[in-house]
Amino acid sequence: MESRRASLVAQIDWLTVTLVGVLVLAGWLNIFAVVYAPDMKKEIWDLSLRSGKQMLWIVLACAIVFFILVLDVKIYHTFAYPLYGVTLVLLVAVIIFGREIQGSKSWFDLGFMRFQPAELAKYATALALARYLSEGTKKLTKLTDLLPALLIIFVPALIIKLQNETGSALVFAAFLVVLYKEGLSDYIMLAGVILVALFITTLFLPPNYVYYVTRGLMGLAVLAGVITLWQYFKRQKFSIALHTTVLLSYALVIMLSVNFFVTKVLQPHQKKRIEVFINPDADLKDGGWQVAQSKIAIGSGGLWGKGFLEGTQTKFDFVPDQSTDFIFCTIGEEHGWVGTSLVIVLFATLLLRLITLAERQKSRFSKVYGYCVVAIVLFHFMVNVGMTIGLFPVIGIPLPFFSYGGSALWSFTVLLFSMVKLDMFRRQNLVV
Amino acid sequence: MSIRQSILFRVRIAFLLLLLVCGAIVARILYLQTITGDRWRKKAKDSGLAFRSVTAMRGNILASDGSLLATSTMFYQLAIDPTVADDETFNKGIDSLAMLLAKKFGKKSAKEIKTELVLARQEKRRYKQLVEEPITYQQRNMALTFPILREGKRKGGLILEKTQERLRPFGDLAKRTIGFVQEDTGGLVRGRGLEYSYQNQLSGTNGEAIYQRIAGGAWKPIGDGEQIRPEDGLDIVTTIDIHLQEVVDKTLRQALIQHQADYGCAILMEVQTGEIKAIVNLGKENGQYVENNNYAVGDMGLSEPGSTFKIATMAALLEETNINLADTVQTGNGKYKFAETAEMTDVKEGGYGKISVKEIFEKSSNIGVSKMVFKYFREKPAKFYEYLEKFQLTKPLGFQMSGEASPLIKKPTDKSWSSTSLPWMSVGYELRLAPIHTLAFCNALANEGKFMQPLIVKATMKGDKIIDRFSSKVLANNIVSEKTLRTLRTLMEGVVENGTATNIKTKEYKIAGKTGTAEKVEKGVYIEKHYTSFVGYFPSNQPKYSCIVVIDNPKTASQYGALVAAPVFKEIADFAYRSYLMNNEFKKTVVNPRPPLIRAGYQADIQLLGNELGFRVESKTESEWSFGRVRTDSLLLAENKVFNSLVPNVTGMSLRDALFLLENRGLSVAFLGKGKVTHQSVRPGTKIIKGTRIVLTLGN
Repeated sequence: MESRRASLVAQIDWLTVTLVGVLVLAGWLNIFAVVYAPDMKKEIWDLSLRSGKQMLWIVLACAIVFFILVLDVKIYHTFAYPLYGVTLVLLVAVIIFGREIQGSKSWFDLGFMRFQPAELAKYATALALARYLSEGTKKLTKLTDLLPALLIIFVPALIIKLQNETGSALVFAAFLVVLYKEGLSDYIMLAGVILVALFITTLFLPPNYVYYVTRGLMGLAVLAGVITLWQYFKRQKFSIALHTTVLLSYALVIMLSVNFFVTKVLQPHQKKRIEVFINPDADLKDGGWQVAQSKIAIGSGGLWGKGFLEGTQTKFDFVPDQSTDFIFCTIGEEHGWVGTSLVIVLFATLLLRLITLAERQKSRFSKVYGYCVVAIVLFHFMVNVGMTIGLFPVIGIPLPFFSYGGSALWSFTVLLFSMVKLDMFRRQNLVV
Repeated sequence: MSIRQSILFRVRIAFLLLLLVCGAIVARILYLQTITGDRWRKKAKDSGLAFRSVTAMRGNILASDGSLLATSTMFYQLAIDPTVADDETFNKGIDSLAMLLAKKFGKKSAKEIKTELVLARQEKRRYKQLVEEPITYQQRNMALTFPILREGKRKGGLILEKTQERLRPFGDLAKRTIGFVQEDTGGLVRGRGLEYSYQNQLSGTNGEAIYQRIAGGAWKPIGDGEQIRPEDGLDIVTTIDIHLQEVVDKTLRQALIQHQADYGCAILMEVQTGEIKAIVNLGKENGQYVENNNYAVGDMGLSEPGSTFKIATMAALLEETNINLADTVQTGNGKYKFAETAEMTDVKEGGYGKISVKEIFEKSSNIGVSKMVFKYFREKPAKFYEYLEKFQLTKPLGFQMSGEASPLIKKPTDKSWSSTSLPWMSVGYELRLAPIHTLAFCNALANEGKFMQPLIVKATMKGDKIIDRFSSKVLANNIVSEKTLRTLRTLMEGVVENGTATNIKTKEYKIAGKTGTAEKVEKGVYIEKHYTSFVGYFPSNQPKYSCIVVIDNPKTASQYGALVAAPVFKEIADFAYRSYLMNNEFKKTVVNPRPPLIRAGYQADIQLLGNELGFRVESKTESEWSFGRVRTDSLLLAENKVFNSLVPNVTGMSLRDALFLLENRGLSVAFLGKGKVTHQSVRPGTKIIKGTRIVLTLGN
C-alpha cells in the first residue's frame, strides 16, 4: 500500500504543478502591488486587503487539489454527463435567481461568497465533450457525429450569452480548436479562420474602402458564377470556378454583415469596446480609459520596470479592475519587458507541457480533456494579455492563476488538476 | 496522408499557433515599452498622474518666552469633482448646496453657483472650485455638512486641498527681523531675516502625494491625500523678549515721528550672553514708520558711525601709549587743519581750548582725538589698523542672520588711504560699520573685554523637544588690557555724568556710553544731514544690558546724538531696569531663580520651560493642561480639566495654547491685545456649539 501510494505521488507531473505554483505566487505578489499604498500600515496577508483574501483562496485551492488527487480517477468519466446536466440547470437558474453585477446576471450570491456557474460550465463542457468524443468511433467529418459535439459546446455558450456574460461565452469558441485536433474538416477550420480574419480586417477598413472592396468582390463573384454556369452548361470540369464563387460569396456575406453585426447585434458598451479597439485614441475618457491607462502602465514600465511596489499607475488604481482582469499591466509597469516576457515564458511552458500531457494519454477521454484544458487556458491567456496591450478588444476574462478572485482561481485549479490526476493514470484506459 | 500523420500535423499546428501568439504578445509589449515607451512614460507623467510635493507645515518663530512671532495656519481650498455624484444625489442636493455656499461664502449668488456646477457636470469637468479664497478649519468643517459635499470624496466628489498662511500675531513688531521667504516658480527661495536665514529648519521636508492632471492644467489630489508624509518644520526660539521689543519699538517710533527722521534702529543686548533681547528697524514709508529694512544688521544700516567710534580710537590710544586722562591737549579755536583742504572742526563755537584727555572724550572733541591719534600713529598707521582688527571691528561678526553687512575699514596699504585718513577715521569717518557691530564692540567692554558674537536664535525645537541649542561664541577674550578697560569704562560713564549726554543722567542706576553724530556724505561732500546715535550699557557698575540707538537724518533743530538718540536709549534702559533689575540686584551667579508666573498652559511646555530656565516645577497632576501657582522658588501645577464638548478654561494661557485648545473644539476665536489671556467671553464649562465666536482679552 505504502509503495503504491509512493509510486502514485511519483506519477504526479511535478513540472506542471511547479509552474502553476509559481504563477499563483507571482499573481499574489502582484495583487499586493495593486492594493499597496505607500502610507499603508498593512501587511500583505492582512485579510482586509485583496492580497490577504487571495492568500485565503490559495490555501483553499490547495485543499481542492488535495481532494482531486485523493478522489477516484473514474469519477470524471462517470459523472461527465450528470455534471453537464446539472450545470445547464444552474446556468438557466442563475438567469432567474441570480444577482445582477455590473449588468450581467451570472452570479449566485451565497452570502459568504459569490459563485458563477459559467466557470463551472467550462469544466463540465470539457468533460462532456471528452466523454462524447471518446465513446465509439466518432468521425467529426460525419455531420451526425459533429452535430452533437457542436451542441455540447454551444448550448451552454448560448445560455451564458443570455446572461450577458459575452466574455465567458466567447471562451467556448476555444473548444473548436479541440474539435479540429480531433478531426474536424480542414474546410470548416479554414472557413472559421477566414471569418475571423475578414471580420477584423473589415473592422479596421475605413467605410468607403469597405464599400469599394465589397462592390469589387461582388463583381468578381458574379463573374466567377457566370463562368461556373457556363462550364456547367458546357459540361466541363468546373471545380475551380465553383470554389472561387463559393469563397467570394462567403467573404462578401461576412464583410456585408460586419456593419450589421456591430450596429445591431452588439450592445452599446460592446460596440464601444470595438470602437476603442479600432481607434485607441478616439475616446480616452470613458470607453478607452481602461485600455489607455493599461497601455500607459505597461508602456511606461520600459525594459526593467519601475520596481516592485513602485508603479504609479498601479498604486493609484488608475486601471480599473487592475487586480482582476488587468493584472497583467501591473507586471508590465513594475517589472517591465523582462517581467512580462518571463510570465509569458511561464505560460508558454505550461501550455506546451499540457499539450505533451494530453498527447501521452492512452485513453481518448483523457486526451480530449487534455486538449480542452489547453484550449481554455490558451484562450484566456491570449485574450486577457491581448486586451491589456491593445491587441484584442476588451473582453472581461481573467488571467488564469494570476487574477484576483476565488471563483476563477478554483475553477482553473479544478480544471487543471483534474488533468494532472488523469495523467497519473495515463497508462490505463479509463473507459470501462 | 495517414491518420497518424494528420494528427501529428494538427498537433504541430497547435504548437505553432501557441508560439505565434506568444511571439506576437512579446513583440507587442516590446513595441509598447521600448519603441513607444517614451510616449507612454510622458503620458504617465503629463496626462495621467504624478507625484507632486505636499508642503510641510512651516515651523514657528518664537520669542524667548514662547510667544508666537510667526506661525502658520492651515487653510483649505474647497473644490468639487462635479462628475462624481450620481444623478439622484446631485439633483437632490444641488439647490441647497448652491444656496448654502452663496450664504456662507457669499461671492456669487446661489443661482450662479448652481448654473456653473450643472454646466461643469455636463461638460464632465473634473475640478470646480467652490470657494475662491482658502477657508479656515471651522469653515471646512461647516462645508463638510453641506449636501453632496457630505457624501465625501468617492460619492460626492469633494476635493479639499490644504494650504497654509503665515501669520505674525504681533503684527509689525520685529517684522523685519522675522523676515519673509518667497519661492519663485523655479523653486528658488528668496527672502530676508530669520524666515530666510532659517529656511532649512523652518520649512521641513515636503512630502509627496499623487495628483491627477485635469482640464486647464490644474492638479487634483487623488487618494487620501499624503502618500509620503511631509516632515513638519522645526520651531526656532529667538532671544527676543517680547516686552522689551514692544517698548523699544514704541519708544523709537515716537522719537522718529518727533524728529521726522528718515529711519531708525535700536538693538538691546544682554551683556554676558550676547543675546539680542530686542531689535527694532523702522524706516519711513509713505509717511509711516514700518519695519522695512534691516538697518541694524544689513547693508542698509552701514554708515559712518561718527563719534561712537571714538571709543575704539581711545582704546587703541590707551593700549598703545601711556597717556593719562589728566594729560591735556590743545584743541584751539575749534578748527584745525591737517592739510590745506582738510579742516577738522569741533562743535563748540570758538573751540574747547586746552582740555584734558577725559574732557576730550566726554565732550567728544574731534580735534582732541584726531590730534592724539595723529601724534601717536602717524608713523605707524598699520598699528592703528591692527588694534581695530584686535577689537574685531574689521570683519563681519558671523551673525546668525543672513545679509549681515561687512564693515568697511581702510588699510594703510589701500589705494584710498590718504594722509588725512588716520585723523578722520579716528573720529568715525572714512569707514562704515553697521550698528550691531558698534554695539557688539561696546558690549565687549561691558563684558570685561570678552567679545561676544550677537545671538538671536538660541534653539530649534520640534514639538516640545529641543533639537539644537545655540549659544553665543566668544569671538575674542580680553580685546583690551584690564587697565585700558577700567579707563574706558570711566570715560564712558563720564559722558553721561559730565559730558555730552548729561541729559540722560538718572539717579536710579548709572549709564555708560557715547554719543555719536556724523555728517552725511552726499555726492562726496559732507552736508548738513546727520546720523545720530548713542551706544552704551547699563547699569554701568554691573553691566547687564548694552544698547545702541540710531536715528538717521532727524529734521528738527536737535541734530545731535545726545538730544536725539540718547533719550531713546534712556527710556529703553529705564524700562529694562525697572522690569528686570530693580529690587533684584543683578547677581552674577543665579541660584534657583524665581520661576516666572505661568498661570496656565500645556504641562509639557511648562516642565520644559522649568528645565530650560532652571526653576523647579512641582506637578500634582498628570493631565495635559494645568494651572500654575508660584510658591517661593517653585511653580506648582494643578490639573486643568479639559473636555472636548465643553469650553475649556484658558485664562492665564499664552495665546498659542488658547488658540490650540479653542480652535480644535470648533470655536471661532478672536482676540484683543497682547500677552496672556486675562478674560474669555464664553465662560468655561459652557457646552460647545461649533462655530461659536469667543473673544479673548489678552494682557499682562
